[in-house]
Amino acid sequence: MASGGVKMNPRRFSRNQIPIYLYIIPIAVFMGLPIVYIINHALKPMDELFAFPPRFFAAHPTFNNFYNLFASASNSSIPVSRYAFNSIIVTIAVVFLSVFFSTLAGFALSKMRFKLKFMLFEVNNAALMFVAVAVSIPRYLTIARIGILDTYLAHILPLIAMPVALFLIKQFIDQVPDALLEAAQIEGAGPFTVYRRVIIPLIKPAIATGAILTFQQVWNNVETSNLFTSSESIRTLAFYLNTFSAGGATGSANAVQGQGIAAAASVVMFIPNLLLFINMQSSVMNTMAHSGLK
Amino acid sequence: MASKKRARNPHDKHRLSGRRLREWGYGYVFILPWAVGISVFFLYACARSIQYALSDVRLTNGLSITYQGFANFVNIFTTDNTFPVALMSFATGLILRVPIIVAFALIMALLLNSKIRARALFRVVFFLPVIIATGPVMDELTRQGVASVPMVNQATIGALLGTLPQWIGEPIQELFSSLILILWYSGVQILIFIAGLQKVPKDVYEAARIDGASAWESFWKVTLPTVKPMILLNAVYTIVALATSGQNEIITMIYDNMFNSAVRRGYGYAAAMAWAYALVVSAALAVAFLLLRDKSDRKVVYEQRRIVMKGGYYNDGKQ
Repeated sequence: MASGGVKMNPRRFSRNQIPIYLYIIPIAVFMGLPIVYIINHALKPMDELFAFPPRFFAAHPTFNNFYNLFASASNSSIPVSRYAFNSIIVTIAVVFLSVFFSTLAGFALSKMRFKLKFMLFEVNNAALMFVAVAVSIPRYLTIARIGILDTYLAHILPLIAMPVALFLIKQFIDQVPDALLEAAQIEGAGPFTVYRRVIIPLIKPAIATGAILTFQQVWNNVETSNLFTSSESIRTLAFYLNTFSAGGATGSANAVQGQGIAAAASVVMFIPNLLLFINMQSSVMNTMAHSGLK
Repeated sequence: MASKKRARNPHDKHRLSGRRLREWGYGYVFILPWAVGISVFFLYACARSIQYALSDVRLTNGLSITYQGFANFVNIFTTDNTFPVALMSFATGLILRVPIIVAFALIMALLLNSKIRARALFRVVFFLPVIIATGPVMDELTRQGVASVPMVNQATIGALLGTLPQWIGEPIQELFSSLILILWYSGVQILIFIAGLQKVPKDVYEAARIDGASAWESFWKVTLPTVKPMILLNAVYTIVALATSGQNEIITMIYDNMFNSAVRRGYGYAAAMAWAYALVVSAALAVAFLLLRDKSDRKVVYEQRRIVMKGGYYNDGKQ
């Protein structure tokens, strides 16, 4: 399972690799450009932000935009740390619960026999490709009826069912040999013990992937704050930062200054993603490459 | 796997029914939390949104829903003069982009699968956009026009394209203006292709070379047939990714019709838009299946599914 293609690199550099590099390196640079650009953009002082033609690298890098971001936050009644705190609570809860439920469901769908199993997986596949916006009104009504509007639960509950995570985790559990489970069963392990002691340790890469995908969906989610909450103190960082790039909710005074702040905000948003991904990338590579395609 | 199962079966035949009952029970226990979530927040919501699509929904003191048949759908295609156009351009965009993304992904997978140093690093670079480029970050990037790399776009490419006749230049310019986006959408596809390419046994290439096949020939005769199922899988993935991405103009329209008080035409109308959109996406998926299916196999869908979910198929109790 751990055999990625990664270790097949040739030991030495040989001349016939050069043409391949000629293709790959420019494209890799090309793909990296926007990331470099957005970081540079965040570091530009005001006059450079509006320079035309736009500059790629900041000539006089400054942290002013970041400073403004947090300063304008303290102008409003709610400090930015409040939004960040909300985001962290919500993200941790959703990632944890969603991984937990997805592994349980993935284990059942993959290794157990029961009626409706095939249909349930089809439902998951349908949910995979459905546009979430279309069902936001009924979701709102459901949340209103349960009575969790304007609470953390309104952020958490709608996002827990992550079809992508379940799909990947189920594919990965499929590759755990049945013999292993049977052996555990013969030793007297019940389904919960098998789940905890056999399945979970074996599918760690899939869990890492599911966690990353869930994380980026939750961390970047603006919709739950927009629709299911009305008081500012319960909204998330993504929502707050989005008000700058949208230029609306916090007032039109932000429209000009907002350029720089929005750039700073998007850097703030993507750095946790980046760190998490770099941290877990080797496991992710394994899952993606092995999600049932072997 | 299969042989182990056969070996086990006669052994516990006498207690099979009891065992199966227990497995069912545990299966339901394990799947229950997920099933509750998906029924409350997806299935129920879907059912309601179909109801809305067929009704006039108003928010005057509470929610009043008046059934009115297909009126919303009729309105979409007769009175709305932006949405059908947007649907059309989405469809043509798919026709243009899906082949490019899939072809690009295949080429990159071939390059990344060849023996070079630092291959793992390059794979990360090509997968990185998938991970970080979602939500607000991506919106910000497109808003800044970074996706088109303005300098390259205006100065160099613009001058270059000026020398071409317009009917060639125009589509190419269009492509360039979203080139990075297209490249960024291909991360997962590249990985899927790499996984597919690694399944091709080395000795097949060896044999082809001994028989005198050039690299070009062995690509068409060996590589391509092997990755053909992946091409379908990738096309489907690409369509779904493009259809559900935050950059999608149609999703914005649906959203505005629901919540933006300046332009909205009501929830019922927006729900009908969403379902019309869902139909177009399904049609695109159906076309992809028809074009790329393996002609020798009637039950393509199941065949593809078995490739995607190897173990699952075996476990579905269909054997």
